[in-house]
Amino acid sequence: MTLLSFDAVDAFYGRAQVLRGVSLAIGKGERVGLLGRNGVGKTTVVNALQGIAQVGRGAVVMAGQPAPRIRHYSAARAGISVVPQGRRIIPALSVRENLLLGAAVARPGPWTLARVFELFPVLKERQHTPGTALSGGQQQMLAIGRALMANPDLLVLDEPSEGLAPVIVDELAEVFVRLADEGTSLLLIEQHISLIRRVVERYHIMSKGMIVDSGPLAQLTTEKLKQHVAV
Amino acid sequence: MIIHILNGFVYGGLLYLVAIGLVLIFGIRQVVNFAHGSLFMLGAYVGYAATAIAGFWAGVVAATLVLAILGLLLDRAVFRPLQDQDPIVTLLVTFGLLLVIEDLVRTVWGKDTLTIAMPDLLSGTLRIAGEDFPVYRLFVILVAAGMGAGLTLWLKRSRIGLYVRAFASDPLTTGTQGVDTERVSAAVVALGAGFAGLAGIIAGPLLALSPAMGGSILIESFIVVVVGGFGSFSGAFVAALVIGQLQNLGIVFIPSFSTMIPFLLMMLILLWRPLGLTGRAA
Ligand SMILES: Nc1ncnc2c1ncn2[C@@H]1O[C@H](COP(=O)(O)OP(=O)(O)OP(=O)(O)O)[C@@H](O)[C@H]1O
Ligand SMILES: [Mg+2]
Repeated sequence: MTLLSFDAVDAFYGRAQVLRGVSLAIGKGERVGLLGRNGVGKTTVVNALQGIAQVGRGAVVMAGQPAPRIRHYSAARAGISVVPQGRRIIPALSVRENLLLGAAVARPGPWTLARVFELFPVLKERQHTPGTALSGGQQQMLAIGRALMANPDLLVLDEPSEGLAPVIVDELAEVFVRLADEGTSLLLIEQHISLIRRVVERYHIMSKGMIVDSGPLAQLTTEKLKQHVAV
Repeated sequence: MIIHILNGFVYGGLLYLVAIGLVLIFGIRQVVNFAHGSLFMLGAYVGYAATAIAGFWAGVVAATLVLAILGLLLDRAVFRPLQDQDPIVTLLVTFGLLLVIEDLVRTVWGKDTLTIAMPDLLSGTLRIAGEDFPVYRLFVILVAAGMGAGLTLWLKRSRIGLYVRAFASDPLTTGTQGVDTERVSAAVVALGAGFAGLAGIIAGPLLALSPAMGGSILIESFIVVVVGGFGSFSGAFVAALVIGQLQNLGIVFIPSFSTMIPFLLMMLILLWRPLGLTGRAA
């Protein structure tokens, strides 16, 4: 089944158009990378499915259902959880409460507070501290744990390695691979190429709001990376 | 002395019930509701009408429910459209709402003052530290304390309370986590308006009802909200108690000066801690 598809989507912030005819599809169990330089519209793809950017022409289909009017909660309720760029941990809530917020959609599945604590023991140790008191890496774990609490079919990760030390990026890569092996589909937005190479099986490259290249990971050549991603 | 302090708690409790509604509506909609005092006043009148038909307790239930439902409607018609507007626009619109509600009440009930009789059950007095204290006043303190404790527990412990705190802190992220934030907001505004209605009816037997009775409590609730730190629930609680005490002790000991005390306190707080007692830099 297709969990998420964009069919020739144009997306806007007010009148400013950012996405131009973007098409992509992610099926059950797939691991897809989305690459591109700063400002090309990667986050706008995420924003379009969360009702933050407005979809003009084109169609967004989530969990097999066309989404005519996308609201902020639409993606989460369709089983698509986002680990947003910049993590967006809620300052007024403790670590534990941030995780519980992720369970707002209450979809059935294996993920519970206990399992997230098992995956990231540090979150259990610090469960009563304010979410934003954690280090950057721990906040990223919290954002991932929060997304998992919704028991998503598809996990969208928007530049999860941003601002993190290499050892922590390594740890996260292992977690992503493990999640994918356990059946969660992944859309990994990254500029960190080694992370992309470790996790995904095919990729899309964006430039100026359009998808300019797609293919299996093997076709992601150094030349393409030089042209489209800062290396 | 104990009697004076208890009287301070009575007024502080009423202030708290009104101020907490302002805090809730501001926290959720970023709208400063200048009509909040008129919701208090309307609560008293609705309570008056229901009391006349079915007794005081029916009045309490009716004032709270009618105002909560009115809150839902106002959220839909006024606060939600206002949430992204300039403060000056929200000021004008909610001030207009204040005038409309006052006029409506004047048309229905006239401009003469009315009174609500205390329920028999609460009309006695209790001997406290050698002096008589009206049972009804203790009841007001208990209601305010009970509502404060209930609200705090609800916000801290319940699932919806979690969403409310999340929303007040980061509305967008709360929405993208799957929360239907419009429904949560509507519920919170209803709660705030319901508290104002409850405060209005329980204040009824202590005050004379008039269409203008919302004015002074509005101003003092604003002071409570500012002193407590805009948007802070615990700050509003502390500030309401402090101002209730100061106001009341002022009336007893320096009557000619007493109405100025809350304003002085607000000015001092604004100079000394511009974000309020519990305020933190964002
Ligand atoms: N909320 C917004 N309102 C208006 N314009 C926006 C908004 N968010 C992004 N933009 C604009 O849309 C364009 C694409 O931004 P987007 O955030 O999608 O890029 P990105 O590929 O995710 O970049 P980065 O790698 O820096 O995260 C940019 O020109 C940006 O300025
Ligand atoms: Mg981005």
